[in-house]
Amino acid sequence: MLTTISLAHYMVLSALLFGIGLFGVLAKKNAIAVLICIELMLNAVNINLVAISKYLTPALFTGQLFAIFVITVAAAEVGVGLAIIIAIYRNRLSVNLDDFDWLKW
Amino acid sequence: MNVDLSLLAPEIALAVLGLGILVLGLLIPKGSRHGLGWVTALGLLGVLGLTIAGWDNQGTLYEGIFIVDRYAIFFKITFLTAAFLVTLGCMRYVDEMGDQSEYYSMMLFATLGMMVLASAGDFMTLYLGLELMTIAFIVLVCYRRTETRSVEAGIKYVLLAGMSSAVLLYGLSLVYGVTGSVTIYEVGRAVTTEPVPALILGVAMLVAGLGFKISAVPFHMWTPDVYEGAPTPVTSFLAVGSKAASFAILLRVFIAALPGLWAHWTMLVAILAAVTIIVGNLVAIPQTNIKRLLAYSSIAQAGYILVGLVTASEAGIKGVMFYAFLYVFATIGAFTVVTYFYNVTGSDEIKDYAGLSQRSPLMAAVMVISMLSMAGIPPLAGFVGKFYLFKTIVDNYLWLAFIGLIMSMVSVYYYLRVALVMYRDEPVDHTPISLSGPVALTLIITMMATLVLGIYPGPLSEVVNTAAHSFFLP
Amino acid sequence: MVLSEWTGVLLFFIGGLLVGGGAIVTSYLIHPRRIQAQKYEPYECGVDTIGPTWVQFKTSYFLYALLFVIFDVETIYLYPWAVKFQSLGLFAFIEMIIFLFILIVGLWYAWKEGALEWK
Repeated sequence: MLTTISLAHYMVLSALLFGIGLFGVLAKKNAIAVLICIELMLNAVNINLVAISKYLTPALFTGQLFAIFVITVAAAEVGVGLAIIIAIYRNRLSVNLDDFDWLKW
Repeated sequence: MNVDLSLLAPEIALAVLGLGILVLGLLIPKGSRHGLGWVTALGLLGVLGLTIAGWDNQGTLYEGIFIVDRYAIFFKITFLTAAFLVTLGCMRYVDEMGDQSEYYSMMLFATLGMMVLASAGDFMTLYLGLELMTIAFIVLVCYRRTETRSVEAGIKYVLLAGMSSAVLLYGLSLVYGVTGSVTIYEVGRAVTTEPVPALILGVAMLVAGLGFKISAVPFHMWTPDVYEGAPTPVTSFLAVGSKAASFAILLRVFIAALPGLWAHWTMLVAILAAVTIIVGNLVAIPQTNIKRLLAYSSIAQAGYILVGLVTASEAGIKGVMFYAFLYVFATIGAFTVVTYFYNVTGSDEIKDYAGLSQRSPLMAAVMVISMLSMAGIPPLAGFVGKFYLFKTIVDNYLWLAFIGLIMSMVSVYYYLRVALVMYRDEPVDHTPISLSGPVALTLIITMMATLVLGIYPGPLSEVVNTAAHSFFLP
Repeated sequence: MVLSEWTGVLLFFIGGLLVGGGAIVTSYLIHPRRIQAQKYEPYECGVDTIGPTWVQFKTSYFLYALLFVIFDVETIYLYPWAVKFQSLGLFAFIEMIIFLFILIVGLWYAWKEGALEWK
């Protein structure tokens, strides 16, 4: 049976995407893969925000504005993250998180 | 559009200062940038004056998304004081690292992020302030980019901070979805005592995201590594500023936006506080590196401050603000000693502090006073702060007060271990350490503040009272 | 069959499948079958690769990519402002100038630090 797409569909999609991202962050060994998974989580949030804005407060654009800011900040974060990965690659010749074990208690 | 820019004056001034330092760094040749530290320190002093002058100038901007009340102003004063003291104490360290202009401007932008965070009236401002602060700190943490430990701390921080802010954001989006608003006080009006599952999940995610920033157990894993790997002045600013700013917004979100769910999160916060106090203090005992020791002790301090949130009352807020303010002096005092000691000897190990009292009596004295203040020994400031915090919970959460008391005694043990090394052991190297002017000034300011606030807390207590009162006004 | 709003999507899907699949099937049916060794090369025309093909790119590209990201994301703010330019007026114009100025300071910094030079 075909139904119209409701807010719940978007929320489920976003929850799944967020879950995949979170799993990736915790399970992946490659620093760049972890960064990509963080992006996935942030994009899940964006879907949430835009969908909520569209369905609950259609007169206001709060959620969409929020999403724009999230995109910007995510870009800045990824820029810094990649720069650090390059720096650590120059030091260690590795981007594998298991190799970064100089600091341990 | 009518915007009262005088409310924004400190933030604008700080942004201009940060950009100005960056531009100055581009114009001045590489070898002669030593003066930038002084420019930064004086600029911060100016912004601090501007902020204090605006004490009576309260209001909100842009339909409540930016709140300037005395609560926010008090926290801004705290951040600016911390930034000023850190800048004063770190000039030599920064000169040895190089790239002064970038360092100071990143520091100023981190401070700007904290100030925005303290004034945040909606979730967008909250997120922007938080990320401005965090990204500036990420850059600062891996500032010694040729040194492996610093970069390693940086990568851990950037990945974990990214994850935590994604979790926080998801929580915010859920709260927005349930209440239909992102403005904190409107959310507060929309939230009812009826537990909506999505809202509970959102609140849990908020606790996780902000718990990471204040390094509450079990979200503290990053703290020791990042604190040890980061350049020491950055560590001290991270311990003080980032934590105080996160507490400022934590109180605002939980007490102003989620008062309806108080019954649900108060127990969670109480347990979080207890676990944080216990783990922070117990793991601090076997540490051999002074920065790691202070990192674990700062985790424990976060636990003490969380106690103020449990009752969600004006008295609790007052305790948090008072403690955050005096914690600035204790922490920066200790870390300035560590910074300068590293400059002279190149070591952060506790055993190398042997006989510091003979080599530099002032450094040893500041270290001991700061640590005893953190442990809460009267008549130092930390005792008064802990008194205000725990006074609020003795009626309903006696077990938490009990844990706090016992763990304070445990903390005396590892603090005194450092004191013993400094005062009892014979130094290997007897050359006295001569202090440079700004460092000595920082040490004396922090020591005097810790002593005076402990013996005579009355005036500050009055100020904090009015500030905490303004929290409930809008 | 009930024609709901989704029937169009279904028809579009089937049509796309037919066109795409039809092209492949037709070419399979009518193409000449002459088997030579050259057919199994990665490229039928052009030059064979020399050495391993999994080489790493220089990280010099990386700085350009970062700068690109900054000015790419900037446009996200320019568009809404440009659309509402008339009604927002002078205040927003000055704000946008300040915003661009801050970004240009960033670009100047990158330039001065040598991020735009090809090494």
